[in-house]
Amino acid sequence: MAEISAEIPTSRRSDGLPASVLAIAWRNLWRNPRRTWLMAGSIAFAIWMLAFSFALQKGAFDVMTDNGARLWIGHAQVQHPDFEDEPLLENLIADVPRLRRSMEALDGVVTAAPRAEAAALVSAGERSFGALVVGVEAVAEAQWSGLAGAVAIGRYLDGAGQAFVGAAMARNLGISVGDELVMLGTAKEGGVAAAVAEVAGVFSTGSAALDRSLALIPIADFRAAWNLAPDEAHRLVVVVDNVGEALDTAQAAAGAAAPWRVLDWQALMPEVKQFIDLKLAGLYFLFAIIAIIITFSVVNAFLMTLFERTAEFGMLKAIGMRPGSILGQLQCEALLLWALGVVLGVTVTLGLVLWLEAVGMPMPIDPNEVMPGLNMPDRIYPSMGWGVASVACLTLLAGTQLALLVPAVRLRRLNCVEALRTQE
Amino acid sequence: MSDVSVGNGVVVDCAGVSRTYQEDAVPVHALRGVDFQFARGDFVSLSGPSGSGKSTLLNLIGGLDRADAGTIAVDGVAVNALSESELSDLRLHKIGFVFQSYNLIPVLSAQENVEFIMQLQGVAPGERAERAVESLASLGIGELAHRRPGELSGGQQQRVAIARAIVTHPVLLLADEPSANLDSGTTEELLKLLRRLNDDRGISILTATHDPMVMGYAKRRVVLRDGAIVEDSAN
Amino acid sequence: MPIKLLFQMSVRNILRHRRRNGMMLAAVVVAVAAVVMMNSLIRGMQQDMADAAVENLVGHVKVLAPGYRDDPGIQKNFELASDWRPPDGVAEVAGWAMRVRVPAVIMSERGTRGIQFVGVNPRQEGISFLSSARMAGESLKDASDGRIIIGQALAEQLETGLGRRLVIITQGADGLNREAGFRIAGLYDADGEGMEKFFVFTGVDALQKMVGAAVFTELSIRLHQEPALFALKEILVELFTGLEVLDWRELEPQAAAMFIFADAAVLIWFFVMMGALVFGLVNTLVTSVMERIRELGMLRAVGMRPRSVVAQVVIESSVLMLIGVAVGIALGLAGIFAMGDGLDLSLWSEGVESFGMRTLLRPVPLFDDVLLIALLSLGLGVVASLYPAWRAIKIKPLEALRR
Ligand SMILES: Nc1ncnc2c1ncn2[C@@H]1O[C@H](COP(=O)(O)OP(=O)(O)OP(=O)(O)O)[C@@H](O)[C@H]1O
Ligand SMILES: [Mg+2]
Repeated sequence: MAEISAEIPTSRRSDGLPASVLAIAWRNLWRNPRRTWLMAGSIAFAIWMLAFSFALQKGAFDVMTDNGARLWIGHAQVQHPDFEDEPLLENLIADVPRLRRSMEALDGVVTAAPRAEAAALVSAGERSFGALVVGVEAVAEAQWSGLAGAVAIGRYLDGAGQAFVGAAMARNLGISVGDELVMLGTAKEGGVAAAVAEVAGVFSTGSAALDRSLALIPIADFRAAWNLAPDEAHRLVVVVDNVGEALDTAQAAAGAAAPWRVLDWQALMPEVKQFIDLKLAGLYFLFAIIAIIITFSVVNAFLMTLFERTAEFGMLKAIGMRPGSILGQLQCEALLLWALGVVLGVTVTLGLVLWLEAVGMPMPIDPNEVMPGLNMPDRIYPSMGWGVASVACLTLLAGTQLALLVPAVRLRRLNCVEALRTQE
Repeated sequence: MSDVSVGNGVVVDCAGVSRTYQEDAVPVHALRGVDFQFARGDFVSLSGPSGSGKSTLLNLIGGLDRADAGTIAVDGVAVNALSESELSDLRLHKIGFVFQSYNLIPVLSAQENVEFIMQLQGVAPGERAERAVESLASLGIGELAHRRPGELSGGQQQRVAIARAIVTHPVLLLADEPSANLDSGTTEELLKLLRRLNDDRGISILTATHDPMVMGYAKRRVVLRDGAIVEDSAN
Repeated sequence: MPIKLLFQMSVRNILRHRRRNGMMLAAVVVAVAAVVMMNSLIRGMQQDMADAAVENLVGHVKVLAPGYRDDPGIQKNFELASDWRPPDGVAEVAGWAMRVRVPAVIMSERGTRGIQFVGVNPRQEGISFLSSARMAGESLKDASDGRIIIGQALAEQLETGLGRRLVIITQGADGLNREAGFRIAGLYDADGEGMEKFFVFTGVDALQKMVGAAVFTELSIRLHQEPALFALKEILVELFTGLEVLDWRELEPQAAAMFIFADAAVLIWFFVMMGALVFGLVNTLVTSVMERIRELGMLRAVGMRPRSVVAQVVIESSVLMLIGVAVGIALGLAGIFAMGDGLDLSLWSEGVESFGMRTLLRPVPLFDDVLLIALLSLGLGVVASLYPAWRAIKIKPLEALRR
């Protein structure tokens, strides 16, 4: 047997496939342009579906996050390690001015403002309610806080002895601008904390929780009444200029803020984070189904191709091409088909996204009616999500290559005598 | 395998070759114990009525199909014993095929079709092009090298197919009804061409045909009937 | 040509290429099944939001004193006999509850919170979440039970527990603050933490005594079936002249808007899926036409009308779709069945709760939706066959026969 096989020069077949295989694949693709366009179109559609919906969502998520953060919470906060879970008066951060300087020195940070807060009984005349009294640095907060801008009556804090309260609270207490507000709570080291302030303004944010429960006073007044040192606070609220980089900035802040804890917006607004995750999970599920449908379509297209080109494959086998090489040829065709779909899909998506990035896309339903608390913008400015686009492309690459497995089995079983007869 | 005679002068040696198709419980005996030797440099026509087993015999010799009984040796290699991939290599390197319906790759030009088989063999690009051009030119279609099959007439396509078959210098050229789709003028040209290849280059040719003109051009004439050789005569 | 023959030919053409058409069918089945399942989940979500809104002490319809919504307090009250019942003519009433609901401050030794203090008659609260919430300790015995039940989350905030006393301050009917101590009878565990921190319950008689007036601030009515809402509202408006009668959509505009959102989502899902499907469908049909180019050319040559050619292609597409839709719906319903009690979304609990949904998402398949999906799919099948059909009638008999 050794002599026999020695007579057939197999060693030279090392490459298995001719170098021009890509060129041949490309030409084969255009033997049936209609089918090629349909299949490339379906691949492009899937990529567009995922990448464009994601771009829209991402734009909405970003603004939603930013608005949420800029309303009151900030993009990140420095806190005592226990404060988030146990918002007790004693869980303070100290040496705030130095901490604030180091935060503001970070790249991308616009400002960092300290807050001190405590639950207290607020009353006006005969009425009293539980509220969260927050000492703020009015000048710093006025620069960015949406709350400071949401003045319904009167004005924001601009001096000592003033209070800025939510509309629902004002209504509940029956007070308005100029009225006196009494705050009673428990000071540090157990004494009674008491403060009296004149209502400077009433805010209305649309968020029931804020409007009902917040009363702002100057942080100096708070420290005096609750017995805090001048360099103590509960939160140092960090605001950045680009929400897209807020998480990175928070990470950088974590290093600079030791031993205190830095919470990024995902930790501060878990409902926003989870809302985003839930939306994305739905989107990925939709895409997965679409990828399956499209893989089926591509399998189908390859089966048709194989069927139509049976005689050709029979001839290739007859003149000595191995099934593996023929499959390689088909793989190249699938690859080119995919690439065509990708170029098409990415181009269309990118074009749409760039256009909408410039003009913005109006929402079909005004979302602020739907979810006032979440502060959706009424126009979205999408931004291209390359990560998601790559996921889409790679999934479909796997799908199209997988789609070849079915024809591959047939190819291996292809009897060339039979195959050659098919065209007669 | 000792009974396979590996004579220097024998390209094909069939001994007791049988092939039975099992179609719908009724066995069809396409070949019944065919003994057939084919000398190097010979030009044999295989004729006989439709269904007599011509294509079957050609397919067996070409390694496209396997015999149920008997042995076939091509250039001293026992075809029965080869694996699928060894058969592939045998076809690629030792046998040239010419089919009735040409079977060119539609997306490749004439020259590329000829080069394609050398690419499979791993021939270097420069040499490939040179040989392809030469081969096409020797068949008188050098100026059509860049046309695709769809842009060629039947006779021209068949010449390209022959160029593809001989460019690898096969020891054996197998042609199953190469002239079936051609008019008589074109057939005559084709036959002169085959004869020249046979005379000048010593390529062994085995062709199945119904066409008396083809039989006339061959050096030896074998007639099959019901799967057995009934006549074998020199021209 | 008789339609029966056309139909036969179409079916045979489908059967001629089983593998290819099987593959296409598989794609249709996956798409339809996914749409059916997703649709039922979205409907489940919708129903959840509505249920949650209704159960959140809202009910389908509420009767309030004018001005209560802007300035909730005991001053905005109305009088009602404690044995009031809805007029007999109203069908579909599942239950009703008369409550006193006032803003209040609750204090423990460890903390102070603002809450809604709700006086209820436990026997009537079968209509609200209170009856189904998990409870540690005891629930209220009756309307005169002077103990309170508070939410688990509030108890944690106040660092208190069962049997402990809490002080509650609220405004009396005379406008003066009242302060009273209450013992905790039970801790409830509601679906949302927000709710647990917000509502504190006691017997309605006890609360009336505390505020010093035998009045109510709200009457909440729940129905078995939402469609009965309109009729009920009309009757109530007549019955309670001078009071506000509001349905849950007016009371919870957020949940109502999400309802519309979900309706749109159902259609978006359908069209995206079918968009993906249509490429493969057109490809399959066109191929089927082009393969039969000789056959169709011959049929045209012997006198078949273009109309019949179109009919053949449309029927072929419709039959494919019909089978795919039937199997897809069956598979989708099987998938819904397999989901059983629902999908666990607790991974996203806060995000889900911020929408007023539960963390367990129950699929709710609706017959009308399934029918709509089926009809739209069949319509799509016809639309997808238009191009292939047009291609088929463009075939010239001569040209086809020459091939
Ligand atoms: N794949 C097959 N399955 C079943 N029977 C076959 C098959 N191939 C050939 N046959 C049968 O074997 C016999 C020989 O066929 P073959 O093709 O060799 O005839 P042929 O001499 O080439 O005929 P023609 O001149 O028509 O080409 C015929 O009876 C044919 O019906
Ligand atoms: Mg034959």
